Amino acid sequence: MGLFISILSGAIVYAVSVMYAGIGETFSERAGIMNLGVEGIMLMGAVAGYITAVNTRDLALSFLVVLLTGAVFGLIFAFLTVTLQADQTVCGMAMLTFGTGLSGFLGKDVAGVAANLKFQAFSIPLLGDIPVIGPIFFRQNLLVYAMYVIVPLSLFYIYKTKYGLYLRALGENPAALDSAGMNVFGLRYAYVIFGCTMIAVSGACVTLANTNFWSPGMTAGKGWIAFALVAFSSWNPLKLTFGALLFGFISCLGSNLQIYLPSVPTEIYSAMPYIATIIAFILATGNFRKAHTAQPAALCKPYDRESR
Amino acid sequence: MKKRTLSLVMAASMLTMCAVPVSAEEAKDPSELIVGELHYSVAEDGGFAQALHTGVVQACENLGIDTSTNLLTMEEISEEDPALIESAVEELVDSGADIIFGCSTGYAGLLAELQEEFPEVVFAQYNNDVYENIVEFQIRGYEGMFQAGYLCALMNEGSNELGFEASMDDASVRTAINSFALGAKYANPDATVQVVWADSWYDLDIEANNAKTLIDSGIKYMGMEASSPAVPQTCEENGAFCVGYNVDMEASAPGAVMTSFVWNWTPIFQDILQQTADGTIDISADYYEGGECSSLAEFNSELVPEDIQEKVLEVRDQIASGEIVVYAGELKDDKGNVLVAEGETMADEDILAQDFFVENVKGGK
Repeated sequence: MGLFISILSGAIVYAVSVMYAGIGETFSERAGIMNLGVEGIMLMGAVAGYITAVNTRDLALSFLVVLLTGAVFGLIFAFLTVTLQADQTVCGMAMLTFGTGLSGFLGKDVAGVAANLKFQAFSIPLLGDIPVIGPIFFRQNLLVYAMYVIVPLSLFYIYKTKYGLYLRALGENPAALDSAGMNVFGLRYAYVIFGCTMIAVSGACVTLANTNFWSPGMTAGKGWIAFALVAFSSWNPLKLTFGALLFGFISCLGSNLQIYLPSVPTEIYSAMPYIATIIAFILATGNFRKAHTAQPAALCKPYDRESR
Repeated sequence: MKKRTLSLVMAASMLTMCAVPVSAEEAKDPSELIVGELHYSVAEDGGFAQALHTGVVQACENLGIDTSTNLLTMEEISEEDPALIESAVEELVDSGADIIFGCSTGYAGLLAELQEEFPEVVFAQYNNDVYENIVEFQIRGYEGMFQAGYLCALMNEGSNELGFEASMDDASVRTAINSFALGAKYANPDATVQVVWADSWYDLDIEANNAKTLIDSGIKYMGMEASSPAVPQTCEENGAFCVGYNVDMEASAPGAVMTSFVWNWTPIFQDILQQTADGTIDISADYYEGGECSSLAEFNSELVPEDIQEKVLEVRDQIASGEIVVYAGELKDDKGNVLVAEGETMADEDILAQDFFVENVKGGK
């Protein structure tokens, strides 16, 4: 049972750190804007939060800076892709390299410096004492607890509210929304900025929660995993949760099995997350699946009023 | 492309015009030396590169070399990019470097080639003794790791099980694991070391996960051969303890790091720089140093009781005096084969190229 708890609680920590970015990207793509720069913006959020933590020793302020950093990047990206209608793939790659490079540059002074300031794990009274469930779900940090609320909220927002309907329309048929008198550009701006803010929070999970230091490029591909999970989950936050948990579970399983099943070469365990990803992708996007795809029809297509 | 060719041509012509050949024998004051260093990552990476960079900086400072003007640090020079390495070296030579430190194994071959092109420059390279025309340096890391294992086993009262978080399966990593295990065994003949592999040189999630796995399996004290503070921080969060690696990691997790294994390159680099200045450097020299170079950082007195600190220091001195030989017989591997017979010791080449795990290692490859 100890093994089970160990793997699952680890899986949740891992999952949450990619889910912020995943949900942010889901909103952005649902609005028709694909952001390939997830990894770069995550790194920017991670470094901005950490620099503030080292210099001010104020966690709330650090988190605020993370949000602002994400918002600024969102604003830039939205300006490029919505106003200037530039190619989203190219702009995304630009955000990626820009964020990666800039974060390395800005973080020079805090690399190897200890902040000792982070979102500590704490036990929720009563819930944390429930056998098995408690140690898995209710002895985590604040960012994990927040995710327990964000997933149902975003589901409710996307599928059950008027605004969610607008959001889905924004990614499927923005012209229709425009005809109905909605401001397509404004909405896209809002969702891109929201998405980037969430992506930056994923970065904060890395430097201010799961671990507490800065090193250039430390997100090590998490942004890409988040990006892939969005398509894998058919742009649905609930499926995204399962995908992230599955990935986290398999990653954690590897280190445990090394001890409990030592006869298997450890490289097999290390390869498991990737093998699982391939299988999941085949199942999610293979030809034998239903004919239509959940991909927003207007994804990657700049909206131009003149060409309605 | 044209621009690049042009700049290369210009650089080459400038080189021929400006470079006054300085013979390696010509003596100068050490403070006049211009020192170059090549790093595969940023220099302040909180790990291996930082240890080397600190060594260069301290050696320079000890010799009165102004690091703000005379130390040229080239960062993020990928080992897989020969063109980049070459242009970085050319840039350093253009800037008048007297000596260039290659701070990652992957530069060795190319630097040996470039030495022939720039014979007036001394090339010093992190490597085992392979090339005849570059200075090579290496530290007997096993001495410090032995002390780390010894410390953990002493602290681990009432249990025989220790943990170890390892990165990739490589001779240097095996050396770290084996030396740690031998140190543990020296303190407690029944001590075993459970290894968990990240199979990556740098992966925070896996490192943290592995540490958590060890802790959840009941292990309280562990060693590590990993570059980030992820393991110490995981230990701190879960009430376990560890010995940091590469640099002093105490500040990153003051509640968990008892001490750290640190590479102290300063004495080696200072000697190389001094000899370069004197013009007495032998470019085929090979440094393979232990003692103060391979040591533990200051103990965290909150965690390690005084008597245990003294015991570890005693072992350190015994290694230095030759009273304790880390790789001495009888030594068996984890399959029961005898590696070193009773009364014999292992040769340096075999220590550097370890392809075995000692008896009390669990989870070796």
